[in-house]
Amino acid sequence: MGTGEDHQLVARVVSAQDTAAFGELVRRHQSQVRNFLRKLTGDIATADDLAQDCFMHAWDKLQTFSGRGSFIGWLLKVAYTTFLQSKRKSKRYAEILEQLGHATETDGRSYSVQPDEVTDLDKLLAVLTDEERAIMVMSYACGLSHREISDATSMPVGTVKSVIFRGKEKIRTSFDIKDHQHG
Amino acid sequence: MTSKIINMAERIKDAEDRLLESIFASTPIADDGFSATVVRRVRRGLWLRRLAVPVAALIGGVIAFKPLAGVVTAVISLSSLLPQEMLNATTTLIPQAQTIVLGAMLLVAFMLGLRSLEE
Repeated sequence: MGTGEDHQLVARVVSAQDTAAFGELVRRHQSQVRNFLRKLTGDIATADDLAQDCFMHAWDKLQTFSGRGSFIGWLLKVAYTTFLQSKRKSKRYAEILEQLGHATETDGRSYSVQPDEVTDLDKLLAVLTDEERAIMVMSYACGLSHREISDATSMPVGTVKSVIFRGKEKIRTSFDIKDHQHG
Repeated sequence: MTSKIINMAERIKDAEDRLLESIFASTPIADDGFSATVVRRVRRGLWLRRLAVPVAALIGGVIAFKPLAGVVTAVISLSSLLPQEMLNATTTLIPQAQTIVLGAMLLVAFMLGLRSLEE
């Protein structure tokens, strides 16, 4: 997956609103974006809906991609923003329901998997906060550098490093990761 | 130089980092029509945006037609009340007024036509 080719496709989309070129960009990166969102939400259907919204936002904002970093880094930034926006919306919705007197089961966690499908990774992700989870996934699953994560999350590089350190610490204290099973 | 050192430091991963990478690793997800759905949504959005301006102009024109017609009729009836000398004076002051108005209208129509052709 060449970065140069990505940049050429982006240029075609921005200059001529080329939907075929955009389709090629989606084909190239859909797997990484969907995997990222699946790990953030823990739910396949929600993640895929968010991934669609993410690509729609990407289409609208593509002219803001400066071309300095990798395209996937920029795309994951859009995906993370889409995830946060959706979370805020559902939180507001839960608050409205609560005001109306309906009981809700919101404990601040957005990660939910079916009990029969829980993998080691799910258990591991469940102990992390949304922010830690996003940064750990960007680093260990998507292979982004600290600089790219910093750009994607609008956090200083130092903060990114300390969040990763904290996440690793939490995982270390909660699990003996050396005995993990792949899954 | 500093950024190179930082990049090198990042690349030096310990066993725990490698283990975490293997835990976080995931199998690629097949497209299965996902990209086609996104492109369809994008194209639909483009069509809606292109249609929105002419449709809004049309609806606005239909809504504004009756009040505008009333205003024009009122102006015409008022101008018949004005003394003839005053009307003549206006024409003398701005002799090309009619041509200017007509030119501006043609220019706006031309610009709109050019924009729709470009699209």
